[in-house]
Amino acid sequence: MDPLMTDALVIAAQTAFLIVIAPAVVGYVRLIKARLQGRRGATIIQPYRELRKTFRKGMVIAESASWIFHVAPFAIVGATTAAASLAPVVSTVQPADLVGDLFVLAALLMLGTFFLALGGLDPGTAFGGMGSSREMTVAALTEPTIAIAVLTLALTTGSTSLGAITGTVLKTPAYAIGPGHALAFAAFLIALIAETGRLPVDNPSTHLELTMIHEAMILEYSGPYLALIEWAAAVRLTLLLTLAANLFLPWGMATSLVPAALTVGLCAIVVKLAILGMLLALLETRVAKLRLFRVPELLALSFTLALLGAASSFFTK
Amino acid sequence: MEAAFSRITMTAASAMLLLALVVLWRRHAGAYITAFRTQSIALAVTGAVVASYGGASELFFVSFMILVVKGWIVPSVLSGMDAKRQSARELRPLLNTETSLLVSGALAVAAYEISRPLAEVMNLPTRGGLPIALALVFVSLFIVVSRREVIAQIVGFLMLENGIALLALLGAYGVPLIVELGVFLDVLLGVLVMQAVVYQIHDTSAD
Amino acid sequence: MDLMVVLALLTPPFAAGVLALGVRRAPARVAWLNVLTMPISLVAAGAIAVRLATGGTPVVVGEMWRIDALSALLAVLIASVATLAVALGPGTAREEHSQAAEIRTFRIYVNLFAFTMLVAVSTVNLGLMWVAIEATTVTSALLIPLHRTKASVDASWKYLLIGSVGIALAFTGTVLAYVDVAATGVDINVALHWTALREAATALHPQVARLAFVFLLVGFGTKAGLAPTHTWLPDAHSEAPSPLSAMMSGVLLAVALYAVARWKVIVDVAVGSVFTDSLLIVVGLATLAVGSLSLLSQTHFKRLLAFSSIEHMGLACFGLALGPLGTFAALLHLTGHALAKSTTFLLSGRVLHRFGSGTISATRGLLATAPKTAVLIAAGMFALGGLPPFGLFLSEILIVKAGWAAGHPLLTTAVLILLLIAFGSLLVQLHRMLFGEPPTGIAQGERASGAVLLLSVPVVLLAWLGLSIPAPLQMLLSKAVMVIRP
Repeated sequence: MDPLMTDALVIAAQTAFLIVIAPAVVGYVRLIKARLQGRRGATIIQPYRELRKTFRKGMVIAESASWIFHVAPFAIVGATTAAASLAPVVSTVQPADLVGDLFVLAALLMLGTFFLALGGLDPGTAFGGMGSSREMTVAALTEPTIAIAVLTLALTTGSTSLGAITGTVLKTPAYAIGPGHALAFAAFLIALIAETGRLPVDNPSTHLELTMIHEAMILEYSGPYLALIEWAAAVRLTLLLTLAANLFLPWGMATSLVPAALTVGLCAIVVKLAILGMLLALLETRVAKLRLFRVPELLALSFTLALLGAASSFFTK
Repeated sequence: MEAAFSRITMTAASAMLLLALVVLWRRHAGAYITAFRTQSIALAVTGAVVASYGGASELFFVSFMILVVKGWIVPSVLSGMDAKRQSARELRPLLNTETSLLVSGALAVAAYEISRPLAEVMNLPTRGGLPIALALVFVSLFIVVSRREVIAQIVGFLMLENGIALLALLGAYGVPLIVELGVFLDVLLGVLVMQAVVYQIHDTSAD
Repeated sequence: MDLMVVLALLTPPFAAGVLALGVRRAPARVAWLNVLTMPISLVAAGAIAVRLATGGTPVVVGEMWRIDALSALLAVLIASVATLAVALGPGTAREEHSQAAEIRTFRIYVNLFAFTMLVAVSTVNLGLMWVAIEATTVTSALLIPLHRTKASVDASWKYLLIGSVGIALAFTGTVLAYVDVAATGVDINVALHWTALREAATALHPQVARLAFVFLLVGFGTKAGLAPTHTWLPDAHSEAPSPLSAMMSGVLLAVALYAVARWKVIVDVAVGSVFTDSLLIVVGLATLAVGSLSLLSQTHFKRLLAFSSIEHMGLACFGLALGPLGTFAALLHLTGHALAKSTTFLLSGRVLHRFGSGTISATRGLLATAPKTAVLIAAGMFALGGLPPFGLFLSEILIVKAGWAAGHPLLTTAVLILLLIAFGSLLVQLHRMLFGEPPTGIAQGERASGAVLLLSVPVVLLAWLGLSIPAPLQMLLSKAVMVIRP
């Protein structure tokens, strides 16, 4: 096959996989949480049903909303999808490496956050503004952490391209048992929790507006716009979990585009997502939400961990 | 084998440094004492690993002493002191948590930079952990300087001693036995004297 | 023979401390016994000093103990100050009526304190020296809050914490040096022996040696009251009971400087003396500035003396960096300072007891109230200010001369200006104390007592030192200089 066609197919397939499976991941985490709390919980496909229902509903838009309100959901979806297309899901052979690396991915995620915050501010409601300001505070504190965790990976593997990183770590496992790598992984996990709005930073299932961060920004959205934003949030969670799994623990990924290896890679990512999702649910069940002014402390801790990881990798080569 | 030994000691040393960071993050005196106890146990484990690989058999005795003195006796004394502390309020350091964590991160990077020539001239397999030990020394020093409450200062000082012991362990498989014994005696006496002085502080400031 | 004399040096204070610990009743009798034991150490130290001054070899006992000229000088200083402090402490001073518990605590710890200092200067193992210096912190910290006041307890805590942290940093430096030496293949059982280290120092890596010395200077400098870690000194030395202040200011600071000097020899072999000299000059000058400039604003007499100690330690540190002449002057300065500071602190104890207050404004009219004490204090303060004919004048002039000779004209001028400021400040404060109307209710007049007689001895010695250094002392000092600057 024409190499360009192969590349496009690989990228499209991985992106489609992430987009399609995202609500299932969210459903899976909710199910595990429910079971841990002694409830039966809804099935894994419940989020799909909710999305279908929300898509069909009518929209009520505030009079004070401007064009930003309308553009924001599409911008969020676009940015998150673009970020998803860069992620190595199944194989270390990443055609998208030519287009973007980890910094581009982080910037795209930040673009999504930016538009979400704008969308929250636009209608001029109190809760929307509050949610946006909180979200930007958290984002401002997690960006340096992600940047430095990225730097750690780049230092040990010599490249910031995602496919190259996973390939190098796969080839030389000695990189993965060092303190630098482990510290960067821990820092990345804390940043993941903050970026995706999970406990202990933000409770995704709260109904109390004053405790919300993410939910407060989307209070004014309804109908298809809301469905788009919820889906984008699910894709973001799946994307970050995939990155955590594949960048730091890439075993099982395919190193070539042979169908057998790809199948193994697919199973591997599903298993890793399942494990990470379970750990996330466990964590959410165990900890209580942090008070808002304690969140910077947690993020400062993750930044220091990332800094130590980068320093370890840099100085102990 | 040697690479694994080197990695294990580095991981244990990193764990000790992370426990010092935990002290900067938590606000309860009990958390401070637990962090110190865990750190001492990690130090004893590191000592045992070095003893078994490096062939220095007196280090087994030293690790045992570390476990008993720093992992059991001293935390008990500290818990006793904490129980007598009037207020059960949170500890309030001089710098807030975020700034403390960032400063300690900077100190750790500075320690790595300073000890770079040191690690280059050593030839033991544990030399990769020397920068971490020096970083622990600097961070513990910062803990002592930035705490208000006496119990927090004491824990910081004890972590400083742990850092120096780690430095000796990783740099030269421990110092001569007589010096090691003297250090233990000093630490134990030091903590007991600190306890006595702290009780006097409570007595004289009670009125 | 060597064993006997080292035992005679070290056992008396240890035995006296243990005796005070074991015997609970009759503390006064224990105290008087104590007065008799300490001079044994003094005689032993003197004998060693004489032997070394007249060209004898260092006293060596086994693998652990080695007393050369530098150690002997410090041992003599420690023993003499300890004798004075022990003779004039609680239990023996007739005017103070201390409680039995206080007397016992004092006798236990002051002896152990003296013992640890003697061990620190007599051992050849630098690790053991470190242990002994840490032990001095521990033994003296318990003694500072002898009279349980909030101020003294707080001062004791500050001293204990800052001192322990400083000592821990000094240990870091020791460990760094040990790590480097052990890598050169030297027998690890003697790797921390000063003699072996000096031999192996050429194999030390320069970066490690420099890093180690920085830690050692900061660490032992904390114990010596060098800036910027001197903040515990004014509180600790002013709140402690006077005999303890005498020992701490007089000799403990000198012992810490001794530790720095020992390590300086080794690092100088490894990297040449320019590095350590520059560090010592900077630290010494900063300390001297802090000490001198703080004198005029002091309102408490003992704090005034404490800052004067800081000033003098800074000067001695500065002198150590100026080659053989500067080192000779610094050691002479430490000798004179030990005598002058201990005497003045012990006298301040008498003043405190008479006037019931330690503030300078409350102790006016000293000359009229207690003339003998006043004269002795005046002599002590003149000596501390660097006035001739006392010994400190000679050592200060020599340091200035050494500074000019070593090629630091600007710095030496700064030193001279700071010394003059200190001199002026001390004179002003002395004037405030000696003259003026004494406060009402203070007993007037003073009879000649044993204490006054005893305290006039160091003053006479100081004058003798200033007029012409006695030959044996000069020989001892020269030999000690050769230890530091071969």
